[in-house]
Amino acid sequence: MKAVGMELSLTEEEMEYARKFLKREPNPLEWAMIDAEWSEHCSYKSSKPVLKLLPTRGRRVLLGPGYDSGVIDIGDGYVATAHIESHNHPSAIDPYGGAATGIGGVIRDILCMGTRPIALLDSLRFGSIEESEHSRWLFKYVVRGIADYGNCTGIPTVAGEVEFDESFEKNCLVDVVCLGVGRKKGLVLAKASDPGDIVILVGGSTGRDGIHGVTFASKVLTERSEEDRSAVQIPDPFTKKLIIEATLEAVSTGYVHGLKDLGGGGLTCGISEMADKGERGIEIDLSRIHLREEDMVPTEVMISESQERMVFIVEDGKEREVCKIFDKYEIPYAIIGRVIRDRNVVVTQNRKEIANLPTRFLANAPIIPRRENKLRIKKAKHKFEMPKDLSATLLRLLSSPNIASKEWVFRQYDHEVGVRTVVKPGQGDAAVLKLPNGKFAAIKVDGNSKYCYLDPYQGGASCVSEACRNVVAVGAEPAAMLDHCQFGDPNNGEVFWAFSQTVRGIADACRSFSLPCIGGKVSFYNEDKETGKAIKPSPVIVVLGLIDNINHITTAGLKNEGDAIVIVGSTGLDIGGSEYYRTLGIYDGSPPSIDLDLEKKTMKAVLECIKRGYVSSCHDCSSGGLAVAIAEMCIIGDLGARISLDKVPAERLRVDELLFSESNSRFIISTDKPEKTLKIFKRYGLPSAKIGEVSAGPLEFSSKRTSLSCSLQDMKEAYGEAIKKLVEG
Amino acid sequence: MYLVEIVIENKPRARDPEGETIKKDLMYKSGYDCVKEVRTGKLLRVKIEAEDEEDARQRVFKMCNDLRIFNPVAHSCKIEIRGKV
Amino acid sequence: MKVAVVQFPGSNCDYDAVHVLKDIIKVDTELVWHKEFDDSDYDAAVLPGGFSYGDHLRAGVIAAYSPAMRRVREMAEEGKPVLGICNGFQILVESGLLPGALLRNSCLKFVCKWVTMRVESTSSAFTNKYRKGSTIRMPIAHNEGRYFVEEDVLKGLRDKHQILLRYVGENPNGSLDDIAGICNAERNVVGLMPHPERASEKILGGGDGRTMFESMLEWVR
Repeated sequence: MKAVGMELSLTEEEMEYARKFLKREPNPLEWAMIDAEWSEHCSYKSSKPVLKLLPTRGRRVLLGPGYDSGVIDIGDGYVATAHIESHNHPSAIDPYGGAATGIGGVIRDILCMGTRPIALLDSLRFGSIEESEHSRWLFKYVVRGIADYGNCTGIPTVAGEVEFDESFEKNCLVDVVCLGVGRKKGLVLAKASDPGDIVILVGGSTGRDGIHGVTFASKVLTERSEEDRSAVQIPDPFTKKLIIEATLEAVSTGYVHGLKDLGGGGLTCGISEMADKGERGIEIDLSRIHLREEDMVPTEVMISESQERMVFIVEDGKEREVCKIFDKYEIPYAIIGRVIRDRNVVVTQNRKEIANLPTRFLANAPIIPRRENKLRIKKAKHKFEMPKDLSATLLRLLSSPNIASKEWVFRQYDHEVGVRTVVKPGQGDAAVLKLPNGKFAAIKVDGNSKYCYLDPYQGGASCVSEACRNVVAVGAEPAAMLDHCQFGDPNNGEVFWAFSQTVRGIADACRSFSLPCIGGKVSFYNEDKETGKAIKPSPVIVVLGLIDNINHITTAGLKNEGDAIVIVGSTGLDIGGSEYYRTLGIYDGSPPSIDLDLEKKTMKAVLECIKRGYVSSCHDCSSGGLAVAIAEMCIIGDLGARISLDKVPAERLRVDELLFSESNSRFIISTDKPEKTLKIFKRYGLPSAKIGEVSAGPLEFSSKRTSLSCSLQDMKEAYGEAIKKLVEG
Repeated sequence: MYLVEIVIENKPRARDPEGETIKKDLMYKSGYDCVKEVRTGKLLRVKIEAEDEEDARQRVFKMCNDLRIFNPVAHSCKIEIRGKV
Repeated sequence: MKVAVVQFPGSNCDYDAVHVLKDIIKVDTELVWHKEFDDSDYDAAVLPGGFSYGDHLRAGVIAAYSPAMRRVREMAEEGKPVLGICNGFQILVESGLLPGALLRNSCLKFVCKWVTMRVESTSSAFTNKYRKGSTIRMPIAHNEGRYFVEEDVLKGLRDKHQILLRYVGENPNGSLDDIAGICNAERNVVGLMPHPERASEKILGGGDGRTMFESMLEWVR
């Protein structure tokens, strides 16, 4: 039996469970509230059991997953908060508004811990921009949406990544990350624990935006989606900026006991989750809420996803003090209810009770057990002749959208506002920001759907490793991570198997690196209903690192002619899923294997070299292999290099395989102390060698059998102009 | 040749934060509280070759949809013929 | 000496300016909410960058009607140094305290990058400590930075050396005559699109911006 006039996405089993628990039939409003809160997006009903595998403890961790943001202690009475959000489905039909409101959402999660958002990152996935006009359109407008919103709110977008693959053609992925800082004693949690405390709804008015937004995210995109008019959310970064300042000012009064942003599932999810965390209840009166459209029914009010709204739980008697601040910034607000002792979520209108559900029941959806079917991908071996002109191959790789410079993107992002950004986009492997206590944070986001498609376990572990390597390369100790797992329909056994394998890979890597997971998300249903084609498994990993000493900050561009170039790590035939193979039209093979112990040792060794002051520049090897890594160092530093391929520690490989294989656990370092550097690597038992030196001239690779050379000019043009040419013609 | 005006606005039911700010922070604060609502939009004034007014309208309509001059998910698009040129 | 950094709804670079003035230049600085910018005696004012009122309708136009601008106009008439950075420049131009207009960048996109400029005149409240003709570097970050003014007014600006900074090497936004920063006829009100507060610490990319604030101290002396 379905509620009148509403389409619910609850299954029959879930509805039976609800009836049994409540010992009655919920009324239509209550059904709508349950539907919103139990959507996959809000409840994680499929993924909770698998996510339990992730390690969440660490010496710096104050709050792990389960809150709006993870929190780590950065010393001296300060904390850092971090969260990742996505807006995949809205961005697929309204790239500008979807991406912009995605940024709005992730900012709120940081803000409601009482911390100031200080940086944003974006991780985007689209279909081929070389072949698809649609994907070019999505790419352009997603970037503009992120730019307009982030810039207007004055939060720098400091790093990111973009991946292109056909599987994202109909299901683009838009992930956004926010980093915040604040004082430990100013931390606010999203819980309502003191009965009598006042509940205040602050921010934009409540309208019909996004109705069925979460259930929209939890359903697969169909033809009708383009017309799904109420699911579109209008971005309003100006109001958000005012809310940021007002919230931080309110928090500093000390009277704010709880804070929660209203995102997916609107008011329903917001208050039920706060009540559940505080082990209390909340009673609200809908007639007090400031509405945008007068004729809204209670159901619409409870599940509306109008943007820029937050719920404040304020100490009883101190509402005036706090509301004065909202008046200063001219932000609308309404006192809508109280925290109550009974553990129920009670909704009234004009003094009549219209919904009453137990907090615990509402906020905790029954877990759905899912089937797992292993998917086997053929690991074919490919035989083809090595291209004659390897210089041309390198240039082609440099201009390949997955590798090419993303300058076209980051020039649109204000990455300097806040005067904290020390290592800016395009300069190093991760962004580095000043922290208020004189230390520095490094942060990067990484994913690789091609590896995860070929082997979800290895792929998941590789993504964590790459993100960690990027943070290590700028001189930071990895301290915490966030993960966002994006997959197709969890009812599909193969998809769910890939999900659980990926999480296992991520968990093992985190455990090996002693890297706690402080938060994350899972998004299912990223597939095209008509074709049944799911996206490639796309875990996105954020690693946050810390740097104590300003002298450790390292960038990737080559610095001085005459410096030695050293590689640490051995190169093997890890070419499945590589960008090189992709440019040849080969999409299978074995993805790079990973030895977690080796990876860990390598990162430790590189950090030691950096801390001892031996390293002038550092860059990890990933997409495009060591050839692209060294080319990038040349381009950024505006210098050349002479490399002897025969010196590279490697298995027996053909020259192209040596150049473009994407083996894990490798770094390229330029140094004026090669002997000392190599000694450190030897001590750790790692394969390493001096393979060349920095020159003024072109980039030259030579071996006994072949050689290739690319001029700086050619490389800069291939690398620097590729994306612009594709997008702007 | 015909002169056609294309006006693209946010859908009537969708918020228009820019219009709201202009009304509230500029007009009201400067004494123009007689203004009750402001909606913003984009105007394209197009000169197009066509057989007649109906043909002009059809061509512009098709173009707006094909080239995504407006996003039907978020915007409304009004086409007005302003006569022959 | 006391400097006011005026904060409008939507200002973003306000804390940045306060940080540089207080912690690096070491001058007594206050962040003042626009509705409260009235009484106290300030010796100089800075209108910071950002997106006041979301840049709605036109960047800077709504803030130009803020009651705070009356006080800023008075300070300008008293000969006190007034600096408009980026959005601050847009507000000064919309208020009529500086001539011209700032239009959408020719490339139609927001641009965030470091640019090189030449110091054309050291005769102003904010450029007096630079060396005339020297090149300096600062970052820009804007969508509407294309300076435009009518031909006859431009001639006046040129003749009276009111063009303080010009972009060299590359004009990032299509500004007329490569204009990056200008001053009023009395030379105490200065507006520029690049951000000197982001170029005041070596670790963030360079220190050429510091000199602008040091010039302000010199002017007041």
